[in-house]
Amino acid sequence: MATESLSGKSVGQPVQRVDGIAKVTGRARYAGDVELPGMLFGRCLRSPHASARIVAIDAAKAKALPGVRAVLTGADVPETRYGRMCKDIPVLAQGVVRFVGEKVAAVAADTLEIAEAALELIEVDYAETPAVFTAAEAMKQGAPIIHPEKVEVFPGAAAGVHGELLMFPPIPNVISRLVLRHGDAAAAFAAAHKICAHSFATPAVHQGYIEPHTCLISVGADGLVEVWIANKGPHIARAHMAAAIGVPEARIRFNPVTIGGDFGGKGSLMDALLCYQLALAAKRPVKMVMNSFEELTAGNPRHSATIALRSALDRDARLQAIEARIVFNAGAYAGFVPVPTLHGYGELAGTYRVPNCAVEVLRVYTNTVPRGHMRSPGAPQVTFAVESHIDMIARELGLDPVEFRRRNAIEEGDATPLGAKRRHLRCRETIDAGAKAFGWDKPKAEGIGRGISIYEHPPGNFGRSTVKLSMSAEGKLALLLGSPDTGTGFHTIASQLVAEHFSLAPEEIEVAQGDTLSADFEAGASGQRLTTTIGQAIGDAANKMKEALTALAAERLNCAPSDIRIGADGSFSTSGTSIDRRALMGWAAERGKTPLTVAGENTPGKPNDVTGFVAHFAEVAVDRETGQVRLKRMVTAHDIGTIVNPILHQGQIEGGLVQAVGQAMSERVVLKDGAVITAHLGDYKLPTIADIPALETVLLPGGRGAAPFDTTAIGEMSNVAVPAAITNAVFDAVGVRLTELPIRAEEVFAGLAAKKDAA
Amino acid sequence: MRRITLTLNGKQVTHEVEDSRLLIEFLREDLKLTGTKESCGVGVCGACTVLLDGKPISSCLALAVHADGRALTTIEGIAEGDRLHPLQEAFLKHGGYQCGICTPGQILAAKALLDANPRPSKDEIRHWMMGNLCRCTGYYKIIDSITAAAGAE
Repeated sequence: MATESLSGKSVGQPVQRVDGIAKVTGRARYAGDVELPGMLFGRCLRSPHASARIVAIDAAKAKALPGVRAVLTGADVPETRYGRMCKDIPVLAQGVVRFVGEKVAAVAADTLEIAEAALELIEVDYAETPAVFTAAEAMKQGAPIIHPEKVEVFPGAAAGVHGELLMFPPIPNVISRLVLRHGDAAAAFAAAHKICAHSFATPAVHQGYIEPHTCLISVGADGLVEVWIANKGPHIARAHMAAAIGVPEARIRFNPVTIGGDFGGKGSLMDALLCYQLALAAKRPVKMVMNSFEELTAGNPRHSATIALRSALDRDARLQAIEARIVFNAGAYAGFVPVPTLHGYGELAGTYRVPNCAVEVLRVYTNTVPRGHMRSPGAPQVTFAVESHIDMIARELGLDPVEFRRRNAIEEGDATPLGAKRRHLRCRETIDAGAKAFGWDKPKAEGIGRGISIYEHPPGNFGRSTVKLSMSAEGKLALLLGSPDTGTGFHTIASQLVAEHFSLAPEEIEVAQGDTLSADFEAGASGQRLTTTIGQAIGDAANKMKEALTALAAERLNCAPSDIRIGADGSFSTSGTSIDRRALMGWAAERGKTPLTVAGENTPGKPNDVTGFVAHFAEVAVDRETGQVRLKRMVTAHDIGTIVNPILHQGQIEGGLVQAVGQAMSERVVLKDGAVITAHLGDYKLPTIADIPALETVLLPGGRGAAPFDTTAIGEMSNVAVPAAITNAVFDAVGVRLTELPIRAEEVFAGLAAKKDAA
Repeated sequence: MRRITLTLNGKQVTHEVEDSRLLIEFLREDLKLTGTKESCGVGVCGACTVLLDGKPISSCLALAVHADGRALTTIEGIAEGDRLHPLQEAFLKHGGYQCGICTPGQILAAKALLDANPRPSKDEIRHWMMGNLCRCTGYYKIIDSITAAAGAE
């Protein structure tokens, strides 16, 4: 680790966030806090049916209601389809509805109350059609076809995807089918000493951000489209909007707002295209805010999944092959996801040395709420399956789960099961550090169970990052970014990285988020990429700024740039003479050369070959009378690089872990006849402050990162593998194996009862 | 319509409101005090917490007329000029916030706790703060922040 070369002023320091005071005083401005003169409130009418034809819509009464400024139905809006990769989402339903909650009509009115009253006056005549709710039903020959039309796919869908990818293959309702192979799995199974096979299921879960989807759109007299939206990647969102509405990107401005949590759920335009149509129709600005009922029933929750795994082992209990069939239920629309299929297959058993692997991944349409992205898309589903499967194999072999994992842990020089070669592999060290802190080998009481799960994931190195760095006449540095801080603290991280390059304190750097016209392109938060990708763009900008300053200093001091030395105090010197930064910039200002602005850029070429590991340990108490599981304590051990900001780093660990505790213990989007019935935060149970376990974090120093200063990623590491550690602990406590999330006391109880009957 | 008079953040305010006007709409839309955030709208998440006569309530469930003749405190009213409230200082220092949308509600709920119980135990903090959801922090640093602020007072 390069800590010895750090200034001690910035990277590694627990500096206060740049947005901190605004947030603790209530001054931070979110999209919902923006108000424009003449602003109207938009609401939409949603389908009560999972699959139906719209026979007729009568909106006359709604239009006649005083205070209503626009009423739109499918016939009033362009037939254009939107999607981040598969363009299949209409602005409003075009003659058919495909899930309970689909937008059918919309109103803009002077007040929210009037808009809602108007919705009640819209009469829709539906003719119900057959629906399918599970991926298995949807793939059967003869199943109703949810999207009989040809869905346009952005060109380049297969870019960066290894294996055989087919978009819309000839299987009913399948969006994508990906097949990957490494080695010769069939031969390994034929030669196996033992074969283990198990199946798992995970439900849809909501991202749970506390700020609902919000957008405000105004179309100026000059045609400039102004947007304030809870979206994590304004530049990409703007490009999609431009394509959908036929307005050039330069005529659309996404304005900077604070984002109230994302967790992967805020990458889409959600209601923005409808909001734009309402603003056009009413000739007034329109704001749309999804209420919590709409968020839970018609947002874009995590894909539910069924996962079948099969492993081949040799005589020494070493994994020789793994086979996986992963089926994601995508709901009624594919367009919320910016990729052909969820990337989670890529981390399949990446912590283990498995020379042969075969994976099939299917994404399937059903007549249910459309699914989207959530924190490490696909990986929590796949990792719950893998880490349960590994535990089950260990138990079947009579081996200790930690020892079995250590025996099969990936080592330096090994490829992952899917063939990725990476460096600095510290899987076993991470397991050992966690097991020691947890006291894995210590005795435990009756009814107490202990479980482990492990995971690896390289930081994302994809998507373009660009920054503008400028120095004022007073010698102050300012960084302009193109993406919001979704809550992780990335604006603060960026300020610390800039400061480190100049040996300054981060408070001396001014950080601002520009709008999409003033700031250059930033792909936004995704796949643990920001610290890595923007870190490299900032490194590029810092180098260019130093070159530009050196050139200025050379001009001022009458020497060649190569004769200039930059001192630790930021001064510029050549033989016998020197000038400090402030004086140099003052001189430059007199000549009209300030602010001095450079653009830093990073367009990553290939995936990172440096990864990180995590090992989670959970201790539970199970009540044999009721089946109730109490999560008592956890240890989370992380193989890390240089920590940029210890408060933010620990915040990612704790926040990610508790989200996963929710996924293990309580969270599930429950569907009945295709409709979400956990439609209320009282039914959809996010963890509260009373639900968190005692937590100890172990950080393994000395790790390597792929980004400047050996920094790396943390945001998904703390989250993905946690649920399996808890269900593995339940098995350890009472011998009941849970293969479906979340843990439900009634299932544990049923498992206990079944064991009693068998005994 | 009804004329209401209340002490808002220490200052007397008189306003005409509809009987059905929610307190959160009155604050955010009529008075432009947008520091109070709305999320679930049904009194479960705690984001809209304000203090009515010092007690935490969900402003999404209360009517504006309920505040008539009473003292109301919002996030805009707890700092003294540029001097932040000790809870605000503690949340800043200990990382008790991330995206910030639940933070005004967390800080006000915690203020009501410390006003009633200046030295709460961690269990008392967990019990009291159960009605304020946070999806970012995992709550550990909220507990740290409140504990630190209690020590500072």
